[in-house]
Amino acid sequence: MAKRYGTDGSLLLTLPWTLAALSVALSAHVPFLPIWISTAFFACAAVRYVVERRRMRLPSPWVRMVLAVICFAGVWTTYGTISGVGPGSALLAIMAALKLLETRRRRDQFVLLFIAIFLVMASLLRDQFLWSLPYLVAAMVLIMTAWLRMSAADQVPARRSFLTSGRLLAYALPLAIAMWVFFPRLSAPFWSVPIDTSRGSTGLSDTMSPGDISKLSMSDAVAFRVRFSSDVPPPRERYWRGIVLNRFNGREWFGGEPRSDPHVENRIVYSGDPVDYEITLEPTSQRWLLALELPFETSIKQSFMTPENLLIRMLPVDQRIAYRVTSYTEFRSDEEISRLSRRWNLELPDSGNRRTRELARTMRAEAEGEQDFIRAVLNRFNKEDYYYTLEPPPLGLNPVDQFLFDTQQGFCEHYASAFVVMMRAAGIPARVVVGYQGGELNPLGGHMVVRQSDAHAWSEVWLEGEGWIRVDPTAAVAPERVEFGISEALFSGIGQSWGFAAPSRLIYQLEMAIDLANATWDEWVLGYGPEAQQRLMRWLGMDNPGWRNMLLTLIGIVAAMVALLSYLLYRRYKPPRRDRAAMLYRRFVRKTGMSPDTGETPVAFAKRVTGHARVSAQSVANVTSAYLDARYGPDGDAALPRLKEAVAKVS
Amino acid sequence: MSSTTWPFRNPGQLLTTLASFVSVRVRRWARKRQGADPKSTRLRPGRVYILPTAVGFVFGIMTFAMLLGSMNYNNNLSFVLTFLLVGIGLVSMHQCQRTLVGLELSFAGVEPVFAGQSVQFRIAATNHSRNTRHAIRLYCEHGFSEVHDLARGESRVFFLQVPTDRRGWVRLERFGVNTLFPFELFRSWAWLHMDLKALVYPRPADQAPLPPPTQAARGHRQHDARGEEDFAGLRRYHEGDSPRHVAWKAYARTGQLLAKQFAGADTSSQWFDFRAVPAPDVETRLSILTRWIVDADRRSEDYGLRLPSAEFPPTHGDKQRRQTLEALALFDLEQSDG
Repeated sequence: MAKRYGTDGSLLLTLPWTLAALSVALSAHVPFLPIWISTAFFACAAVRYVVERRRMRLPSPWVRMVLAVICFAGVWTTYGTISGVGPGSALLAIMAALKLLETRRRRDQFVLLFIAIFLVMASLLRDQFLWSLPYLVAAMVLIMTAWLRMSAADQVPARRSFLTSGRLLAYALPLAIAMWVFFPRLSAPFWSVPIDTSRGSTGLSDTMSPGDISKLSMSDAVAFRVRFSSDVPPPRERYWRGIVLNRFNGREWFGGEPRSDPHVENRIVYSGDPVDYEITLEPTSQRWLLALELPFETSIKQSFMTPENLLIRMLPVDQRIAYRVTSYTEFRSDEEISRLSRRWNLELPDSGNRRTRELARTMRAEAEGEQDFIRAVLNRFNKEDYYYTLEPPPLGLNPVDQFLFDTQQGFCEHYASAFVVMMRAAGIPARVVVGYQGGELNPLGGHMVVRQSDAHAWSEVWLEGEGWIRVDPTAAVAPERVEFGISEALFSGIGQSWGFAAPSRLIYQLEMAIDLANATWDEWVLGYGPEAQQRLMRWLGMDNPGWRNMLLTLIGIVAAMVALLSYLLYRRYKPPRRDRAAMLYRRFVRKTGMSPDTGETPVAFAKRVTGHARVSAQSVANVTSAYLDARYGPDGDAALPRLKEAVAKVS
Repeated sequence: MSSTTWPFRNPGQLLTTLASFVSVRVRRWARKRQGADPKSTRLRPGRVYILPTAVGFVFGIMTFAMLLGSMNYNNNLSFVLTFLLVGIGLVSMHQCQRTLVGLELSFAGVEPVFAGQSVQFRIAATNHSRNTRHAIRLYCEHGFSEVHDLARGESRVFFLQVPTDRRGWVRLERFGVNTLFPFELFRSWAWLHMDLKALVYPRPADQAPLPPPTQAARGHRQHDARGEEDFAGLRRYHEGDSPRHVAWKAYARTGQLLAKQFAGADTSSQWFDFRAVPAPDVETRLSILTRWIVDADRRSEDYGLRLPSAEFPPTHGDKQRRQTLEALALFDLEQSDG
């Protein structure tokens, strides 16, 4: 009887493949998992292999139970939850590691391969890069090879299993593509679960506190891409409106709860030429949508415009979405505002930032009108010693006072905040707008990339007879920030003295090419949603089919492809052409006067014939070798004449 | 509520009963629609059946869950993965069925056995196609054969073991061929009804008296005081052997009880007579006769068999052995079983 928990080396043919499949599936998670989980998994995998190799014993159920409790407790203390991709993949890794320690029979590995598939799935939920598709296909080839090894007979070489699984995946791929294209896409999820709770959002935040440590990222991550179908607006008009912050507590700015505005048509007067473009927005986990100031209409469903002229979607942007917008860069908004709205945008905390208020009141008294006052404030930012920097010193209790009079260093948030506070103190309704400014044109793809580092804050003031007007105080301090983008603004000053040179031309072009590939990928593969599908169906001649018709189309196409597949397999297992070889061989058999038994091979029959029949041994050997070549050789038809001749010579 | 007795103690039992009822019905239906098969049959597509396996069900549930997840998150790459899995399912269904379609199965013979041994039906599976057929396995209600890949053009003999306990014909009315290739998600199979049968000889009695010597032999042995020349060899001692025949010297040497065998020119004409066998019932007599024939054949002696219905004059050789054992196997059974 076999030892308890003992191994006998019977898994050596399959285990390496299973381990490889699991490792590849897990490798995409390693950067995101706590280091102890990856270590635990790879240690278990190595231990399991050595155990099988040396025919050692597996740990007893008690040991495994204790390990399991420790690991699950570890996951719980690391994440504090078990939902989401992070903890989910951690749990899968733990399960795979523990299952490895109790896998003794070949078929136990099914569970491991199921886990491997789930791990691949989880990695796709986490990130979808350009290389994710090749990774997915490679991982599947490996997993299916391991699967095949598990059920194949012992004598099958690994290379054969690899080729077979490759062939079957090659059959499956066109089916998968057809289903992918025609499977009806929903525009809204059934239930909203955050995919990855461990990941903070990298985009804009709906609060702003210029006094705290600088949170403005220099992240190169793409915020969104824009493809213009009309002329590209000049840099100074590229203000991508995000959110409006109009509540201030002396230190921090907040936005209000967005609500729909039924009177939007009456408030805004558009003029000039429209700008048409499509935005592919990276997931933000927020409800607002970015658009060039000021959006006129958008293709996105379930969205609305707020009284603050913000574009809001009913559901958070958890996935990358694409939408088309028409904007006008010339517009007038809210020539009249309600008393309530006026008070709302004049509100300042009762105390704090006293020097700023006094300064504002003095300057307002000195100025001739509101416009004059605004110019004076901007001049102050421009003329006096204010510096644009991404690493300003932290500010204390009265951040606006401290910034304006003491440190005089800051970035867009500081200027916008200080400006709005001064306006409000002087009785001019004002608010802070947060969004992106700028964007870089990719000369290869013709699209514009807006990155997280292009995030920007500016101000809006309301003037009698003019409505809300955009004022960007940062432009007064660092005009190049607005004209050329943030990297120019930084590198032209400090950067050069530190030895940073502008990136070389080659690297620049490479970056642009990669960006183009990513943009194409995002647009055509990841951005393929309900709208793109509807467009495709229209192009195919089906105008606005419901999901029922889509499903029927899908079933029809898949059925046709399956029929084709069936035919291919039929061809594969068809006997060789009703063959001349067999006919010639039968003629030979008749000449010998004997008949082969069931299951007797031609070679065996030849041996028997040589002993008994009246035909010469040489001619029998000739016929047999020619027949084998014709029937089973690599180039069967070429051997047919030889067979014919050999049969004719038998007498 | 009245206390009617529910025949099934638990739901599992009900399911088992239901499943066996269905499977019996299905098999009967398949037998009826397929008819009897010739001894060499090539599988048509219409008679290769297919169903998902347990692993296939789990795979299906997993794929469905992944589809829901992909739809919920509208994640295009996980849609790719999900549909790839669906594609693999569809492909493996067709591959599984096509692996069997066109396979030729032919009866390749069976050897008679003694009751208690297993009959080995030999069935040759021939792959006439240009490509390998993977993981082919034959089975019958008594068990499975080994699993083998059939290379193109390859013909391989599979063995099906059928245990026996009685003499007479043992039948293999139905056997199957199946495959789980490629991923064990589906099992496709075909039933064949070739109505194969094999002969089962009576079980040779473990303890048989020495065969009654014929007249001539007895006469010879009586004046055999010197008889060293007639000593033919040793055989295992059976209860009932005369102590005079025990090879005591050999016993002292080896510790094994052996009986001396005597042979002479005239023992070749020994007759085994059914009526003369010292046993009460027919089966025991047949058993003893079988033992005598097997032993005599091993020693290449001539022997004759006298049954109430037939008589085989003394001779030796394979033909005699086969004929006499066949007669014993089918003794009194001929009418009921062709």
